[in-house]
Parts: sequence; structure tokens; C-alpha cells
Amino acid sequence: MTGKFPPLTINRRAALAGLSATGLVGMHSPAFAARQKFVTANNNPYDLLDPHQLFDIGRIAVRLNMYDALTRWVDNPPRLENWLIEKVTISPDGKVYTFVIKQNVKFHDGTVMTSADVVYSMERILALKKGAYGLFKDVIEPGTTKALDPRTVQFTLTKPFAVFMAVLSELWVVNSALVKKNEKNGDWGADWLSKSEAGSGGYALRRYDPAIGFQTARFEGHFAGWGKNPIDDAEFRGVLETATRVLGVMKGEFNTTDGYLPAEQMARMKENPNIKTWEAESIRTFYFIINHWKAPLNDVNMRKAVCYAFDYDGFNNKILSGTVVRNNGIIPNPMWGAPKDLQGYTYDLDKAKYHLSQVKNVRPLQIGAMAGYPQSEQAAQMLQAGCAKIGLEVKIVSEPYTTIAPKLNDRERAHDLIPLWRSAYFADPHNWTGFLFNSSNFDAGNASYYKNPRVDELCNKALIITDQDQRRVMYEEVSRILVEDAAGIFINNTKFHGAFTKNVKSIRFCPIGDAQDVRWIEMQG
Amino acid sequence: MRILVLALRRIAWMPPTLLGLIAIVFTISRIIPADPARVIAGENASPAQVEALRQKFGLDLPLMQQFMRYLRDIVNGDLGISLYSQRPVVEDLLGRLAATFELAIAAMCLAIMIGVPLGVVSALHRNRWLDQVIRLATMAGLAMAAFWLAILLQLFFSMTLGVTPVQGRIDGWGPDQITGFYTIDALINGDGETFGKALRYLILPTATLAIPAAATIVRFTRAGVLNALSSNFVFYQTAMGLPRRTIIWKYILRSAFIGTLTQIGLVFGNLLAGAVVIETVFSWPGLGLFAYNSILQSDYNAIMAFTLFTGSVFIVVNLLIDIAQTLLDPRTR
Repeated sequence: MTGKFPPLTINRRAALAGLSATGLVGMHSPAFAARQKFVTANNNPYDLLDPHQLFDIGRIAVRLNMYDALTRWVDNPPRLENWLIEKVTISPDGKVYTFVIKQNVKFHDGTVMTSADVVYSMERILALKKGAYGLFKDVIEPGTTKALDPRTVQFTLTKPFAVFMAVLSELWVVNSALVKKNEKNGDWGADWLSKSEAGSGGYALRRYDPAIGFQTARFEGHFAGWGKNPIDDAEFRGVLETATRVLGVMKGEFNTTDGYLPAEQMARMKENPNIKTWEAESIRTFYFIINHWKAPLNDVNMRKAVCYAFDYDGFNNKILSGTVVRNNGIIPNPMWGAPKDLQGYTYDLDKAKYHLSQVKNVRPLQIGAMAGYPQSEQAAQMLQAGCAKIGLEVKIVSEPYTTIAPKLNDRERAHDLIPLWRSAYFADPHNWTGFLFNSSNFDAGNASYYKNPRVDELCNKALIITDQDQRRVMYEEVSRILVEDAAGIFINNTKFHGAFTKNVKSIRFCPIGDAQDVRWIEMQG
Repeated sequence: MRILVLALRRIAWMPPTLLGLIAIVFTISRIIPADPARVIAGENASPAQVEALRQKFGLDLPLMQQFMRYLRDIVNGDLGISLYSQRPVVEDLLGRLAATFELAIAAMCLAIMIGVPLGVVSALHRNRWLDQVIRLATMAGLAMAAFWLAILLQLFFSMTLGVTPVQGRIDGWGPDQITGFYTIDALINGDGETFGKALRYLILPTATLAIPAAATIVRFTRAGVLNALSSNFVFYQTAMGLPRRTIIWKYILRSAFIGTLTQIGLVFGNLLAGAVVIETVFSWPGLGLFAYNSILQSDYNAIMAFTLFTGSVFIVVNLLIDIAQTLLDPRTR
């Protein structure tokens, strides 16, 4: 990297204002020739920068690096930190949350963040109805969030919601004055913010090209301060082809890429002397959704038959070469609420045959595998092979996610079984239980159409109380019921296999963000 | 005058051709069982949220109504908003145009520079060992899958020899934009270092695109030259005692090149289509990568715009080829 930087393009005005406020404009001088640069090759394109329209792990680098939220997840197992919050008060009924935000939090243009920015950000999410809207829509009404004074903001929920603090990690605070200035026809600045930024995060946008990605420079004035040897410039590139990303890291063109590569690509990386790898158990479970709506899968014996017909060991240890960890239930092993003594299903064809014999009107089943995701397709084939051994016919239909997604919430069109992952958007057992199996969430998140009054009761109760120990007991019971009911085929928890160039000294991995939070990365040389 | 009439006639055919193209692509993109509104809304979205998005993008309207609405917008110069980036599709397309054209033109030039001489040489050595080798090479060039060839080139030139970058268009963000062609912009800026870098990044994707194109050109040039070699005018010129070199490079090649020229028009279209694979493998930020990504995301407006755009380019290039052919071949006037 030389000291010569090309001029700003899309966000010239905003970035210049921000850079001059922070002294970053000086980096055009040759004195910055030795700046530390970190380049990430991402498996998703960065076609959008608006933090309130994005809600996926694939593009989380945009939110984590350029914006701040009231709370933030760090480390593994994930720990929730009060990030922008100095003080929090919760009313006894659990419906009113009052926050005092930290002093002197500045946006990249030098403006001081106030509670009005937090209010505007929440109203923007509710108005745009995109991104993290689904997390807030049931508990916050538009117009109810108030700025009590420049540093105090108050949220009044429509009902108690124990995971409110957890989901606040997706309330990314934007510079309201800057966004308002760029609003067009009441669009809440959506067009402008799709290619610019108005954040206060650790890194400020320097250049953006939707075809390539985005380039950022460290925001010296970040309220959280900096460690001894932070990265100066962080570049994020969308590189769709897996082999190209792997070769790019091996050659040193990138410093890292996504941490969930196929086993054979990971093996190549591990053998390369220029690469060091980090391994950590994540919180991303792989399982088969079972459609309980349609017979014969509404019969627990049929569901148990398919659960016993899957070769867990063969899949996890042979096909995936042990790059994952067996997870007996839906809640990932490292997460609180996952019972440590939970007994899952094993590959047992005798038991599978027994349960199948108890089912009337057996019909061939259909698996909807996700095309382009080898693990999903391999799991489908493995289950097909196991079912064939017990005399159960299974047909596999491979479809892209864009085709499968609409069927997830259409009980009649849904496939009988779908092998897929449940990622972590916030680290709370509700993400895997209440959201996926509460019957109040039919046609939204509960794609299994599973209904058990006890599970509903426990999930609802666990959202009202805030004591974690009490909630843990409830989620552990839910986990056990889900296994007993064979609510899904729970297979494994993913391991993060981060591959980094040798000069990356340390990272701080958090499953929510997959080590894309550059502020925690250190390089040498 | 005849050329002008020809050009006008061709231009008059453009709207119905494009209309047919739009109708076909529109229908195919809408009947596949994908739901972009659901994908955009995300897996945590409620049905109401999905429905709101569907209404916003007009995806809830009857197919014919959606089509008429789309046509009306095109006439007004509006190709719609990308369902993903939320930006006008035209903006996204224009941002990637130069990258693809730089690559396609470089590949076309390379293909012609390799293909035409090899085609002539192959014809002049008909059925001898040199001809056999060239024919074998062209068959291999046509048969090889582009993504496989791309990975082979990456492994050999980037990883083993270390002489070319694995991917991308340039290290960092490229020179100040004037034309959008990095090589040309670097030259205009007098920046030799950037020019060199841009060239290094161009080598592998250009070679991958050019090899099958060159193979096609070799075959057509060879056939054209063989045809010309057996014609009366060559027999006459030989009898007149004209030097063999003059006959070949002045008369035979001109005659043979008319057929090759038509192929070049088609090859250019193939290069644009082939860019979808090549740009994905090399992470080249052009229209092909944009199309690939749009297909993955069921971004209807972006897919339609890309198809419409490449269709238009294809038609225009072929119009230019027709005009060039008329200029070269007096018989067509």
C-alpha cells in the first residue's frame, strides 16, 4: 500500500467533513505510507450501506465498523455490553426503558450524538419496515420513543420483552441531522444512505463502489478509544467465488475471508505456511426443519423415524471432516439455555423402522435442499440414504434460497424437510426457540408449524421475566420438549474457521459478527 | 446513401426486437417460483411486512399490468429501482459499464490479433502438421469451460509463477475516473505505475475471455481463406505474377475477413455473456458480476435491465458490423 490515495467519489462531502473533523485528511500526505491496512474478502456483495435496511450476517461489517448501537455483543460465548449506554433504568413492569447515553459520542462529521439521534433511528426502522424491523415491530409503536433531554432517551414497550436489551444491538444510531438533510420525498434518506454513511463507528467511510465494496479509515475520535496497535485502514471487498477468495488469502491479496468455508478449502488454507487459522465454536445450528402441518409428519412416530434415520456421526465427522460439533438440540451448545445433559437422537435404523411401523398412511417425503450450499445438499442425500434403508422413499428438490424462502412461511407449499442453518442475530435462546417454535409465530419465523402449548407457555413466560437463571430453566425445558417431540432433526453447531494472513496478530471473535469487527484486530509489520 | 438506408432499416428493427426480448425475459423472470419480497424482507419478517414490500414494488399486480407498467417506465428512461440496493438500476449499470467494456474490448482485440493470423496460417498449411496443431488447439479452446480455464490460469500464473494478481481490477481503488477505463485513465493522468498495474490485472480475465473467442475467429478465418484460395480471382492474380504475399495479405485476407467480421459481431455478444462467469471468478467489478449477483438475489429489475442493455449492445454492434461489411464488400451495396 502506498501513501497515494485516490480522491473521494460518492461520499465526498460527508467524508471530507468527517475526516477534517477528526484530522484524517492528513493521510493524503506521504507520512501515512506505513498505515496498517486490513482487507477482507466477503462472500456477499456490499450492494447497500444503509444500516436500517440491512439485517444479515453477510454484510454485518457495514454496521459493526461504521455505526454504533446502544448495546454490542463481544467475545465468545457472546456477552452483551452497554456500548453507547452510560446508565439504564427499567420500570418494575418491564415496559419502560430509560437510557442515558455516554457523553461526547461523536459522529464522523464531528456532531455530538444526542438522544434525538436515537429516537430518529428507531422511528426510521419502524418507518422503513426493513432490516431489524421484525425485532421491534411487536413491542414498539411509532412515536412512542422520547428524548427526555439531550442524553436521555426513553422507550415505552407495548408489553414486557426480556430480550429488548439484546435486540438493541441492532438499533444502529445514525446522525439524524445529516440524514434529514439528505431526505427526498419522505424517503427517510434511504436513497442517500444506501451509498453513504452517517455513523459514529470505529471506521469512517472513505470510498464506496457497490461493484467492489467499501474502504474505511480509522476514526480517531471514536468514543471507546483505541488499543495500542489498531488497524488504520479497513477495506471490505465482495468476492463471490469461494476459490478466488481462498487463493486471494493464500497469495496475501486479502487478510481474511468468511469463516465458514467448505472443509476442503479450509484444509488447503491450513496447509499454507502464510496463513494462520482460528477455530471457535460458533452459535449457528444446522438442522432440518420438519413441516408438522402435513401428514404424516404431524405424527411424532414419523418424525422420530426420520430423526433416527440420519447418520449424525457420518455427516459431522466424515463428510464435514469434524469441522462442526454435534448439537443435540436447537440451542447451540455454548449458549445458556442449552441443557448440558440433553440426549439427542442417534443413527439407529432399528428404532427408525420401529417408529415407521407405527405410522399409518406413509407417503414419500420431499426434502427442499438449498442449491449452492453443499452442506445442505449433502445432508439431504444422507437422510435420503438412511430413509431408503428403512423403506421410506425420499425425493430431493434442490432450489436456490430465493425459491425456498417464500415457502418457509407457506404451510401448504412448504417442503416436508429443509436442511438449513439458524444464525445468531442476538445471543439469546429466544432466537432459536420462541422465534422458531412458538405457535404465535406461524407464517413468520415458525416454519415448522410446530405447536405445543407447554412450549408456547414457556416461551411466552421467558420473554416477560428478566432473571436469566429463571429463563435458563425454562429454555432448558423447551429444548428437552423439542427433542422429545422430534420437532426438527438437530444435527450440529457450526465452528468458525477463520483464516488470516500470518501478519494478523490477534482477533476477538464473537459469533455475532464473525470476527468482522475490525476494531479488535491487531496486525504486526 | 445505401449505407444510410441500411442503417435506418436496421435501427427501425431495434424497437420490435427489444420488445420481444423484454417480453421473453420479463415472462421468464416472473414465472419462476421465487419471491424477492420475502428474500428482501429477511427470515424474521412477518407476512404483513412481506406483503407491504410486494405492494411497494408492484409485485402483487397481475403479470400483464406489471409488464405494461415496466414498458411505460422504460419509455420514460426508467429501468426501475434495484430491489436490493434501492438505487436506480441505471445508476448501478452505468457504474459497472466501463469495467466490462474495458475487459471485452481487450479480449476482442487479443482474440483478433491471435485468431486472424492463425486462421490464415492454418489455411495456407492446410492438412499439414501446423494446420492440425492449430485446429486441435482451437477445438480445445472452444471446448474448455470458462470457469475451469480461469481457475487453471489463476493457479499457474498467480499462485505458481506469482506474476499476476488472483482477482480484482486493481489494487485499491483505481485512477481518477475520466473514461472509466483504468488503462486509458492512467495514461491520461500520466501515471505509468497505475497503467502497469491495471494491465497486470487485465491479463488473466482477458486471456480467459479471449481464448474461446480466438478459436472461433481462427476457424472462420481459415474457412474464409480456403474459400478465397480456390476462387478465380486468386487464380487470375497468381497467373498475373503478383507476389504471393500481396495476394494473401491484400486480396485473400480482405475477401476472407468479410465472413470473419460477421462472426466478430457475434463473438462480441458472446464475450458480454461470457463475462458473467469470468467476472465472477476474477471478481471483476463489471456488468457480468452484477448480473450474476442479481440472478442470485432474484432482483427482477436488475436482471431485466442487464438483459435489455446487453441486447441493445448486441444489436448496435451487429449494426456496426453490417455497415463495416457493406463498406468492405462492394457486392452488398
